[in-house]
Amino acid sequence: MTDNQNPISPHLQIYRWHISSLLSITHRITGIVNLLALILMFFWLLAFSLGESNYELFLLAINSFFGKFILIGFTWSMSFHIFSGIRHLVWDMGYGFEIKTANISGVLVILSSLVATIIFWLLGRGLI
Amino acid sequence: MNATRKWILHRVSAVILVPLFAWFYFSLISLSEKNYQEAIYFFENPLFKILIIALFFIGFFHAKISLYEIFEDYIHDQKIKDVANLLASILSIVLLITILTLLIYRI
Repeated sequence: MTDNQNPISPHLQIYRWHISSLLSITHRITGIVNLLALILMFFWLLAFSLGESNYELFLLAINSFFGKFILIGFTWSMSFHIFSGIRHLVWDMGYGFEIKTANISGVLVILSSLVATIIFWLLGRGLI
Repeated sequence: MNATRKWILHRVSAVILVPLFAWFYFSLISLSEKNYQEAIYFFENPLFKILIIALFFIGFFHAKISLYEIFEDYIHDQKIKDVANLLASILSIVLLITILTLLIYRI
């Protein structure tokens, strides 16, 4: 990986916030959060392989208030990154660049990520 | 790896990760209220092992390309950038080898 001629992105603090820029940076942040989530999942597997007492301890941490907060946050981060990623893929195919369309798709990404998080938890906990 | 191939592989891995991540979170949420005995059925299922290996491999691959782009944008010193990329690669490889070892020998 030697090519360092790629353009550098603009500096965030100079610009006024729009939904497009907000979603752009959130996409990056949630991407990094998803990597952290993947690392947490690694510890989930590790705890399981270390036997029952370690796994029960891990479950205790995950089911605490803070643990649930983290897990729900990770679920939202994953949903957001997926929906925002789909929006990026549609752009890659050349559609949806009009300002109005981009704004509407942006709002849709936020709303659907929230709905998806709720559905994930209801389905995962067997409530629906 | 040239930029075009990287760009395409980034998109391809993203599309594969969508169902994998959805399945994985669904599993985790239901696992979080099951105890160790109930979790054994889950973790020892061969399908679970295959999917989890796919998830971690493609996930870290996707993350590695993304991190490279992020470092490219925010780190201006070439040396620090190289070190950051190296650390990201080492972390991915160490975690992947550990996961493979765990799945093959311990779970």
